[in-house]
Amino acid sequence: MTGPVARDSPEVTRLFELRDLPARDLAGQAEAIAATCHAMAIRFHRGGKLVVFGTGGPSADAQHVAVEFVHPVIVGKRALPAISLTTDVATVTGIAEAEGIDEVFAYQLRYLATPADIALGICVDGDSPSVRAGLKAARDLGMLTVALAGSGGRGAATHLADHVLTAASDDPRVVKEIQVTTYHILWELVHVFFEQPGVLDSGAAP
Amino acid sequence: MTTRRADSAADDGATDDSATDDSATAAMESLYPFLYADTSDLPAVLEQVRASIVAKVGEIRELRQVITRRDGARLARCAAEMAARFAAGGRLFAFGNGGSATDAQQLATLFLHPAGGAPPQPAFGLANDTSVVTALCNDIGVDVVFARQLGAFGGRHDIAVGLSTSGNSANLLRAFDEASRRGMLTIGLAGYEGGKMAELDSIDYLFVAPSASIHRIQEAQTTIYQVLWELTMQEVPHVPGHTG
Repeated sequence: MTGPVARDSPEVTRLFELRDLPARDLAGQAEAIAATCHAMAIRFHRGGKLVVFGTGGPSADAQHVAVEFVHPVIVGKRALPAISLTTDVATVTGIAEAEGIDEVFAYQLRYLATPADIALGICVDGDSPSVRAGLKAARDLGMLTVALAGSGGRGAATHLADHVLTAASDDPRVVKEIQVTTYHILWELVHVFFEQPGVLDSGAAP
Repeated sequence: MTTRRADSAADDGATDDSATDDSATAAMESLYPFLYADTSDLPAVLEQVRASIVAKVGEIRELRQVITRRDGARLARCAAEMAARFAAGGRLFAFGNGGSATDAQQLATLFLHPAGGAPPQPAFGLANDTSVVTALCNDIGVDVVFARQLGAFGGRHDIAVGLSTSGNSANLLRAFDEASRRGMLTIGLAGYEGGKMAELDSIDYLFVAPSASIHRIQEAQTTIYQVLWELTMQEVPHVPGHTG
């Protein structure tokens, strides 16, 4: 293409820039993310599995996390056990009708999870009642609990998690993008700790 | 640890088909020096992981800047065409494999059940129905899982959006050919340098996230399709014939 064809668009530039500040904020949480990776690695090392859940858009993220861990992108990285609680439509709709939508994850956790496992609840605003109930059930079981939340981490669900990683935005789309980066990084760097077995026995993390 | 999966049939959420070579090993070692040091010093490992996180976030911020400079005007034009299709009664079909299948699902629900009072638009994720997907895989083969569904559903007012990190997934290439044949508006999202998707005539708008990291590519693609949704929603009320 020749000639003075505009390649940018002010509105597109504005929308893309909305993502930048929350991304910088995520970098500021690097220490907390590293601690979360370490705690997760200890659980995997002890034979635990990762159990992921969220409603709406985050239900797709839950499935993304599961495939990320089970089917590693890089040769040599071990497959790690992970399941999403959003994929069994028969069970999800069955629980929603019989026990109520708030119970969809808590119910499954009670029967599918063990105390050695890790619960990862993903929500856009931190207030999803079903994610909150799921994290509570996970905590009652003795699981490691991790929450990804938006809006700067406000919301009741985040009080139930050992590790809370936040996306500093009120825009649900921006929150999602920050959360994708967050869980990609959790996957990429949890493996680092398997290369250093000495750091998995420290018991420093819950 | 040092090489990427050389599996060209698989793609996205989880696999990759980039070449294995010595430079990859060197790049990996510089990216993750702690993997090559024998240490059980927890504070040192945590500090190196922290630094790696900061670097990764820097990469995605930079990638988004490249895309907005390079593709801003085309994104705006693409959204205007999408709004026109919806106004004409069209529907959106989104497809991808692995992690990209979850992006297709997210894209569909973004249009069908948007937050914040935006007008809902008909949209489907073509990886959602495990009965259809496994039936097609078993009876014919994975290459047709999306093309066959577009053949059953797609019409000339509709929109096809396919997501791949490599740009090489055979079932996406087949789907774009089918969609184009049916007169659908075709939109492709790819990574690296676009792969085979960059060679197709059947894609009206191809947006490439120029990165060698599958993860950063997917993160940039999430921004691309969510910005496309936002721009389309801005256009919808201005398109004649819209009744939503």
